[in-house]
Amino acid sequence: MHDRKMKKYIYNVTVLLFSLFLILIGYITYLQSFESPNLANNPLNRRAMEMEKHIQRGMILDCNGEKIAYSKKNEQGTFSRIYPLRDITASISGYVGEKIGNVGIEGYANTDLVGMNSPLARFGPLKQLFNKDRGNNVKLTIDTNIQKVAYDALGNQKGAIVILNAKTGAVLAMVSKPSFDPNTIDQHWDQLRSDSSSPLLNRASQGLYPPGSILKTMIADAALKENVTTTKEIFYCPGFLKIDDTYTLYESDNEVHGKINLQEALNESCNVTFATLALRLGEAKLADTFDRFGFRKTFDNEIDEPQIPLPEFKKLSDGEIAQVGIGQSTVLVTPLRMALLASAFINHGTIMKPYLIDEILSPDGFVLKKTVTEKWLEATTAQSADTIESFMKSVVKQGTATRAAVSGIDVAGKTGTAENSSGDSHAWFIGSATLPSQDIAFAIIVENGDFGGLAAAPIAKRIITNIVHTEEVTQ
Amino acid sequence: MVWIISQPLFLKIMMISMRQKLILIPNLILLFGTIILELKKYPVFDFTSLPWIGAVIFLSFVIDNLLRKYRSSADLYLFPLVMFFLSIGLIMIDRLKPSLFIPQLRWALCGMATFMAVLYLAKQIALLKNYQYIIGLCSLLCLCSTLFFGTDIGGNRNWILLGPFSVQPSEFAKIMIIIFLAAYLTDHKNVLALPSNKFLLLRLPPLRFIAPLVVIWGMAVLMFVIQHDLGSALLFFGIAILMTYMATGNKSYVFLALIFFGLSSTISYFLFSHVRVRIAIWLHPWTDPTGQAYQIVQSLFAFGSGGILGSGFSSGYPFLIPEVHTDFIFSAIAEEFGLVGSIFLILGYLTLFYRGINIALHCKNEMNMLLASGLAASLALQVFIILAGVTKLLPLTGITLPFISYGGSSMVSSFIIIGLLFALSTKENNNA
Repeated sequence: MHDRKMKKYIYNVTVLLFSLFLILIGYITYLQSFESPNLANNPLNRRAMEMEKHIQRGMILDCNGEKIAYSKKNEQGTFSRIYPLRDITASISGYVGEKIGNVGIEGYANTDLVGMNSPLARFGPLKQLFNKDRGNNVKLTIDTNIQKVAYDALGNQKGAIVILNAKTGAVLAMVSKPSFDPNTIDQHWDQLRSDSSSPLLNRASQGLYPPGSILKTMIADAALKENVTTTKEIFYCPGFLKIDDTYTLYESDNEVHGKINLQEALNESCNVTFATLALRLGEAKLADTFDRFGFRKTFDNEIDEPQIPLPEFKKLSDGEIAQVGIGQSTVLVTPLRMALLASAFINHGTIMKPYLIDEILSPDGFVLKKTVTEKWLEATTAQSADTIESFMKSVVKQGTATRAAVSGIDVAGKTGTAENSSGDSHAWFIGSATLPSQDIAFAIIVENGDFGGLAAAPIAKRIITNIVHTEEVTQ
Repeated sequence: MVWIISQPLFLKIMMISMRQKLILIPNLILLFGTIILELKKYPVFDFTSLPWIGAVIFLSFVIDNLLRKYRSSADLYLFPLVMFFLSIGLIMIDRLKPSLFIPQLRWALCGMATFMAVLYLAKQIALLKNYQYIIGLCSLLCLCSTLFFGTDIGGNRNWILLGPFSVQPSEFAKIMIIIFLAAYLTDHKNVLALPSNKFLLLRLPPLRFIAPLVVIWGMAVLMFVIQHDLGSALLFFGIAILMTYMATGNKSYVFLALIFFGLSSTISYFLFSHVRVRIAIWLHPWTDPTGQAYQIVQSLFAFGSGGILGSGFSSGYPFLIPEVHTDFIFSAIAEEFGLVGSIFLILGYLTLFYRGINIALHCKNEMNMLLASGLAASLALQVFIILAGVTKLLPLTGITLPFISYGGSSMVSSFIIIGLLFALSTKENNNA
């Protein structure tokens, strides 16, 4: 019967079409489950950006709740990002760039600021119930009062300042000059990017400089800790150190320090003594010292840092080892790293992990995340650290850094005058101060500022005086 | 209590009452969907669509009641199922292109009216057989009209402007071709099934019997090459093959068609650059994701971002896909309702196809059987082609998702198909 046959053929076609649909269902299942994360997170997928447009980005606040960045709704219903302190906090906040991407805290804490790190993000429509139209606020450790003081203190010079709370690692101020106005970054982007003075570089944590004599504090600590000298030993400085037939290291300005002990050598920043100590330590112990102070260890947090280029210690000649002892050679450091070095001495050998983000707050003010202060390194012994700290106090009292002295406040420090290829030496000053409210450690660099004692140390004095003054007024 | 529930009679009563309430589901979807969208517009509400929504809901209840009263022997699941697609389509149009919501509501009303008109004229279905060649000719004219007077809308030149309306004649030609094939194939089944000529390895009947088929295939190729309408081309081609096979069971036609298809697509690949572009986009969308492959890549992003549960209705970003309210409406559904929603919808279409085949298998008359199965297969094929296109399983095609995509031609023609299927499911027609 024909009828029967046709039914069979219809059945076959049905099976064929059903199998086609089965393939389709399988393929859509693959797309929407296995392949889903790849497609959803593809950089060309603009959904995350579109979502952000409707969210009022959270604020970036300083430790007192002062606004560093906030969003304001325009008449058109879109948001614009406002940085009330403009160039003063630009190197910290970074910026929100429509085309150029988000940088700094704006970039690092983006998911917090747009409030998209909700644990419900993968729960489909359910997450809409908990959707917010405002992102979370990010509270920083920065104190804008100190930041402003430091920013002004550097004046029109190129350079950077880092101020830390030595006991917690909280970054109180981070100045980089020249700076830029993040409010108008999109308009001035091409100009800023090609500017030879690199205003977009956050010199405080990303600028790489030769440390010069400030590194002598670390060499002194290493020498004491490794027992290659004592505080009693008397060195003789004839003004030069002949290392081998081809290389002789001289004091700057051909000074002759004569007979001096370690403390006096640090006071006068005696090259001969520290070159001698470096040679006594040798490449292995020097490398070990750099490790102890964390030069090979990263922070793994919001602090953006380049890799610190250390010399290959094993391949160093004696001349180069002597150079390392006075902070020259090929060693390059960031101002932040030098502030951490100074913090080790005031903090009895311990370096706390530096951090910028203190809390993530919901728009209603609930603390969603709080950074726990963390011991980063046990850089040296308490005894050695205390000794170096006392030496550094004497540097301020009667050494090269007398211009940093503030009456009534314990200030410790070490100057540096780092030779470099870009012109005049960079002026360094690192150190610490015991303020009524907290112990601070700091690093100041003035690019091509020449003598650290003249160009950088007075800046420290200005900053400390101002902070103390403000604290007295507010109390 | 348990005893009562387990009684077959009770179950039967439950089933009947459930079937009566089935029409509630699509109407609730429509109602809640539009309410959600209105609430999102807070504090500015727009009530202009309200009378139209009311009319659609009212008409759907009236039709459902009429059907149950006067066509109780027919397939009563068909109409609520179609209304389910329609309501999903309507709320998605409201979501994606609010300016087209009222026009689409109007098309929905037109569709439902057409459905009733088809039912009213259903007794005459048997008569169609007598006019098969006229119908066949009409379908050819329809298709040719676009070849000569076609207007380009959205890259497809398969539109005809009739005063204020733009019509897609291929939507109606499709139905006419199915009717023609059903009639022609039942008439010539025996000749076609018992081939006399041997051609290579294929056994074929005299050329004059397969001429209509070759004409349809040729038209399909022309549609693609001249109108860039790959979707309709595939659809016509597929319908012709499937119906010929269902009528004759002769696989030679399938082979012949595939050879024809292979040859013509290879030739057009080398002759026409737009064909090459289509294929290139299909094979390597990620080499130019922001250029020519933009649409399909955005569609894939929508599928991926939807994930398993979707972003929730009206919470996704389907606007990133250009022309999302027509060809890509399924991508928007997949994004907002997730894998769960997209599979539900596909299963819905499969159910519709299954009901269609079920109707075909219950037909007593061969032509009706072929007609019903042809209509059901055409719906399934159309859904498959567009879904495979937006997911990149096949090259992208520009055809509509029945009852869901925006468009009057598609809406009316899809309701005609459902009307015919419904008519074929009634006892009178089964016995005719």
